[in-house]
Amino acid sequence: MAELMIDAKDVTRNFSISRGMFRGKQQLKAVNGVNLTVARGEVLALVGESGCGKTTLAKMLLGLLPQSSGTVELCGKPINDVPRLELARTVQPIFQDPYSSLNPRKTIGSIIALPMKVQGVADPDSMQRRVEETMELVGLPPRLRNAFPNQLSGGQRQRVAIARALVNRPQIVVCDEPTSALDVSVQSQILNLLNDLRDELNLTYIIISHNLAVVEHIATRVAVMYLGRIVEVADTDKLFNDPQHPYTRALLNSVLTPDPNLGIPNNQLGASYPNPIDPPTGCSFHPRCANAMPHCSGIAPVGKAQKGHYVECHLYED
Amino acid sequence: MPDRVLEVKNLSVDIPLAEGVLHAVDDLNIYVDKGETLCIVGESGCGKSLTSLAIMDLLPKKAIRRLRQLDLAGTSILDYSEKQMSDIRGNKMGMIFQEPMTSLNPAFTIGNQMIETLHRHRTISGDEARDLAKRMLEKVGITAADQRLGQYPHQLSGGLRQRVMIAMTLLCEPELIIADEPTTALDVTIQAQILLLLKDLQNEFDMGLMLITHDLGVVARIATRVAVMYAGQIVEQGTAQQIFENPLHPYTRGLMRCIPVPGKTKRGTPLGSIPGMVPSLIGEFTGCRFADRCDMASDACRQSDISLRDPKGKTQAYRCIHDAKTLAKSEVA
Repeated sequence: MAELMIDAKDVTRNFSISRGMFRGKQQLKAVNGVNLTVARGEVLALVGESGCGKTTLAKMLLGLLPQSSGTVELCGKPINDVPRLELARTVQPIFQDPYSSLNPRKTIGSIIALPMKVQGVADPDSMQRRVEETMELVGLPPRLRNAFPNQLSGGQRQRVAIARALVNRPQIVVCDEPTSALDVSVQSQILNLLNDLRDELNLTYIIISHNLAVVEHIATRVAVMYLGRIVEVADTDKLFNDPQHPYTRALLNSVLTPDPNLGIPNNQLGASYPNPIDPPTGCSFHPRCANAMPHCSGIAPVGKAQKGHYVECHLYED
Repeated sequence: MPDRVLEVKNLSVDIPLAEGVLHAVDDLNIYVDKGETLCIVGESGCGKSLTSLAIMDLLPKKAIRRLRQLDLAGTSILDYSEKQMSDIRGNKMGMIFQEPMTSLNPAFTIGNQMIETLHRHRTISGDEARDLAKRMLEKVGITAADQRLGQYPHQLSGGLRQRVMIAMTLLCEPELIIADEPTTALDVTIQAQILLLLKDLQNEFDMGLMLITHDLGVVARIATRVAVMYAGQIVEQGTAQQIFENPLHPYTRGLMRCIPVPGKTKRGTPLGSIPGMVPSLIGEFTGCRFADRCDMASDACRQSDISLRDPKGKTQAYRCIHDAKTLAKSEVA
């Protein structure tokens, strides 16, 4: 069994939502009892609709947000005990929009060098060398070192963001929608780059994406989230060939592959994503589920794992 | 001849800048027939949104529109005044934009905005307008329509807002709907639902739909005809079948190889990519605009402008000097 990089047990994150003056606070369970492991070298994709808690979960794995309850272990150590700098050396993020994640007043060179400065690298020569090495690694010509972000194209900016994440050689990279803001032809270049870097640097990725075609291409394992819970986890092939949870099936059914002979799928999901402040009782998916049974609205399903395929649905309970 | 809803001939959009004139759209010809969906597809900056704005006469002030013919449902609207155009927009010509939150007014209820649209274009009593608005909301699959009419846009989810936008567009029974990235801001599940709804309503009302998107998956599933734009020009057009099953232009062929397709592209293997960048469109440009990124480019490509041609008359036209046979065989690495 490969070494576990991340081991999250029963992780919960609540947010207090104000209901107005003089009326108490209400709890929004953004992440609600998630168990998740990520092994070294794996590419784990988190998929689900907006508001399902993907980004909140990723922030907790990055140590940017404390969990309300449960534990997250990073390489065997509780993440809350890992010193800030060590955490930053181990886990790094790449965000969706390279137009807003880069400081427009800094040069590319200083943007990429900043994580090293934070870590206390003082020698300017070695810093410059590392910046150039990393730029080459992500396919940026070193002459762009003195350029500003607005002189670069979208794809180049995303490469800068990747270089900044990799300059301290982290072990885990959390990519939050790494290609959603990019054009198709640039998206493929960035996906190829992420794949190459993973082989070259032995990286572990956690990829958040709503584009299931991208997920299918790059991920080794997929976790499907719905309303703060992980409802299905499986290896990519298994999940795409034999999806079990009705929500996963609806999600896969909604993917529009570029085949002109197929029409637009009808995923039978109904229009409304439930309000996370007031989630449905029992299985939170039951109001939209095509296979809902009478007891789904009353009893929450218990997860069941079989050969690494985890699913949380009454259909698969004994 | 089928009923033509929209006919655009020789549309050019120029934007004067300090550095020179930006030729954003160059000599574009498109048409949409009744009940048909024309998809305009291309990457950012290719001029697809400007094309739609030019048709609606909503271009930014400094942009210069040149046009030889602009017909809406058989009537020329080329010389219409601002007043006449605003009578048409939202009436005969419906519009759906990408982000429904910015196209709905946050300070008014859904009902208010829908009824205002009706009052603007129809002579109709308040009760009748409210009734029609309610029926239209039900038609786009919104439950508890009466209650929704009293709600503000921020109280609705993204999918619901886009449904409201569609309902509002349909109120005056337009002949043509222009939708600019209508589902880009939505989740995949909601995207499929909204597209299905658009398609059903289009069949029911027999409208022409012009859909602008960068998502090839959306195009394949909804389009009757496709126009691929690159750097302000249509580089290839044809039926959805032709474009997806037998793309000819090197740019179209390159795009098709860039997208991962579950079950077809093997995991971990590199996807195709198009090297280089879109050329600057400032100043005069001669020759093929894709030449610098094209493997098959030669000097001949750069010497003179290449026209969109359809040698076999099979409705699949492409802008390339090579013949269809050579292109179909070409394998861009």
